[in-house]
Amino acid sequence: MGHGKYIDPLADARSKPGMTTSVIAGLTGNLYQVPAGERLELQFVVLPGESRDIDLSIDLTGPGAQAHVKALYLCNGEEKVNFRILMHHRAPGCHSTQQVKGIAGGCAQVHFDGTIVVAPEAQQTEAYQENHNIVLTEQARVQTRPQLEIYADDVKCSHGATVGQLNPDELFYMRSRGIPEAEARTLQMLSFLSPVVPAGREEEVEKAVRSL
Amino acid sequence: MAESKQIIEQFTSGEYKEGFVTDVEQEFIPKGLSEEIVRMISARKEEPRWLLEFRLDAFRKWQAMPQPDWAHLDMPAIDYQDIIYYAAPKKDKDRPKEIDPKLAETFDKLGIPLHEREVLAGVVAVDAVFDSVSVATTFRKTLSEKGIIFCSFSEAVKEHPELVRKYLASVVPASDNYFAALNSAVFSDGSFCYIPKGVRCPMELSSYFRINAKGTGQFERTLIVADEGSYVSYMEGCTAPMRDEQQLHAAVVEIIVEKDADVKYSTVQNWYPGDAEGKGGILNLVTKRGICKGSGSHLSWTQVETGSAITWKYPSTILKGDYSSSEFYSVAVTNNHQQADTGTKMIHLGRGTKSRIVSKGISAGVSQNSYRGLVRMGRNALNAKNFSQCDSLLIGSLCGAHTFPVIESLQPSATVEHEATTSKISEDQLFYCNQRGIGPEDAVGLIVNGYAREVLSRLPMEFAVEAQKLLQVSLEGSVG
Repeated sequence: MGHGKYIDPLADARSKPGMTTSVIAGLTGNLYQVPAGERLELQFVVLPGESRDIDLSIDLTGPGAQAHVKALYLCNGEEKVNFRILMHHRAPGCHSTQQVKGIAGGCAQVHFDGTIVVAPEAQQTEAYQENHNIVLTEQARVQTRPQLEIYADDVKCSHGATVGQLNPDELFYMRSRGIPEAEARTLQMLSFLSPVVPAGREEEVEKAVRSL
Repeated sequence: MAESKQIIEQFTSGEYKEGFVTDVEQEFIPKGLSEEIVRMISARKEEPRWLLEFRLDAFRKWQAMPQPDWAHLDMPAIDYQDIIYYAAPKKDKDRPKEIDPKLAETFDKLGIPLHEREVLAGVVAVDAVFDSVSVATTFRKTLSEKGIIFCSFSEAVKEHPELVRKYLASVVPASDNYFAALNSAVFSDGSFCYIPKGVRCPMELSSYFRINAKGTGQFERTLIVADEGSYVSYMEGCTAPMRDEQQLHAAVVEIIVEKDADVKYSTVQNWYPGDAEGKGGILNLVTKRGICKGSGSHLSWTQVETGSAITWKYPSTILKGDYSSSEFYSVAVTNNHQQADTGTKMIHLGRGTKSRIVSKGISAGVSQNSYRGLVRMGRNALNAKNFSQCDSLLIGSLCGAHTFPVIESLQPSATVEHEATTSKISEDQLFYCNQRGIGPEDAVGLIVNGYAREVLSRLPMEFAVEAQKLLQVSLEGSVG
């Protein structure tokens, strides 16, 4: 940004003559606009072997709009997975959540760049963002940049980000009760991912976790 | 509603008590910045050749650098040719050893005792810097009995050149960033502190910085070296007169922590923040960095930032020694037109290193308050751990609070946790206090103090009282 003042990047793009919505979408990735009272739900699953750029720009334009993004990724090779999520609250009383969780193995490179912007007029905003990563190998690399830019005061916003490994205490607990190490690790990973696994795709995700 | 408006007005009218000017005869060097000026500063301080070379090298590097603009700040253009880089109070020739009574009075008024007397909560050794020179350092004798060196930077250059030469710019190289390069070229004075092996410093050490002269900037340099197994607690305070024009303050602080040593660095920054319309104030552009060089070393930063028109400051730690640890505790308050972009960097290099970040931002008026941080786990940082918590409190609907953390991990066994929240003082909390007979203004004070408690409790006692008072002045009675 480089400046201390509230800048509305989309309004700026729109105000230029001859610029259509699709051009704006091209500028900022996939642009979604959620009008008053509507609800947007997006889910992403990135399976091993797949490099993906997920670039989202979500605009909550009307009062009471809601947006919920869930994403999970699994990497075990040379994948490059990039998330860029811009959640722009422009109207009062909107609610948004972002949950991005994943496991990086192999020599994968994962980058998360998420921003919540709350415009001065977007009072009574609730916005939450979570990014949790488990790194399995020395070669894998995770970088996360969760960001909040808030220009209104009556807001509840939070973000949380973690980068870590599978909890050795949990692993020990399970192994001391006769669960083989590989199985215990799988269970740990599945429980870690469970909040972001879409309904109906549980088996597919479990298969992928076992392949890590 | 009317009541809360009134309270906000009261809050914004919180006065700056340290805004007076001391009328003392001063000598200046000409305005502007050039190689000649750098040579002039060096000559005036009778510096050895190597230091002049260091300055000139830094100046040349600075000339080739662009001013950074990545911060979330609306920075006014700074005319570097319109600043006086060196201003010193004239010494009275009849009493060369004594401090000018006017200066002593100034520091007395600020609550900084230059006479060696016991202050309320304990004994504190002070190095007082007035514009470009250090005017007094107290308790030097008591300290030197233990082998501790605590003096102004200029004296250190003359008396302990080998130490200064060894450690100067070893943590913040001259070319580190734009403002560090500027400081390296024109730095005037500051404090130097060396704690020898195994010595526990018996008293708090403190630097007090005062800008007085008009049209000048202050460029001080602090160098703290804690040798093996030593301990020191260091405090820094600063104030400036109220002026309509903005003044530049670009300092560099370097801290070297050897094996098993422990350094605690506390700052209460209360530069003049400018008036309610955002006129004047100090541009506080500071580079602070420490290195935990040896294994088991520990460095703790605590800062309370209430002043300055613009704050650009990221006290950072390089955790090089195995099992070294560092902490960063910060309360940053912005009001009216103040802007702050502050945070920390924790660079984990050694194995088993630990760091903890607790940052509490409070923004009011039309101010902007940002936390910016980096936590990097290097390849060899086996089992390193970091925990960060960055909370923001918003008071009034025209201010902004922002969080820009970056987390990088190259080591799978390292754990990084970051969490941040942004909220305003809730109606429920206020109502709870009000119905128990606590007025809205006191309630806000109570809530804010509770909110910042985790940081305030880390300050040395002498500072904690001052910081709490400052917070009260800056934030009395503000209901969102």
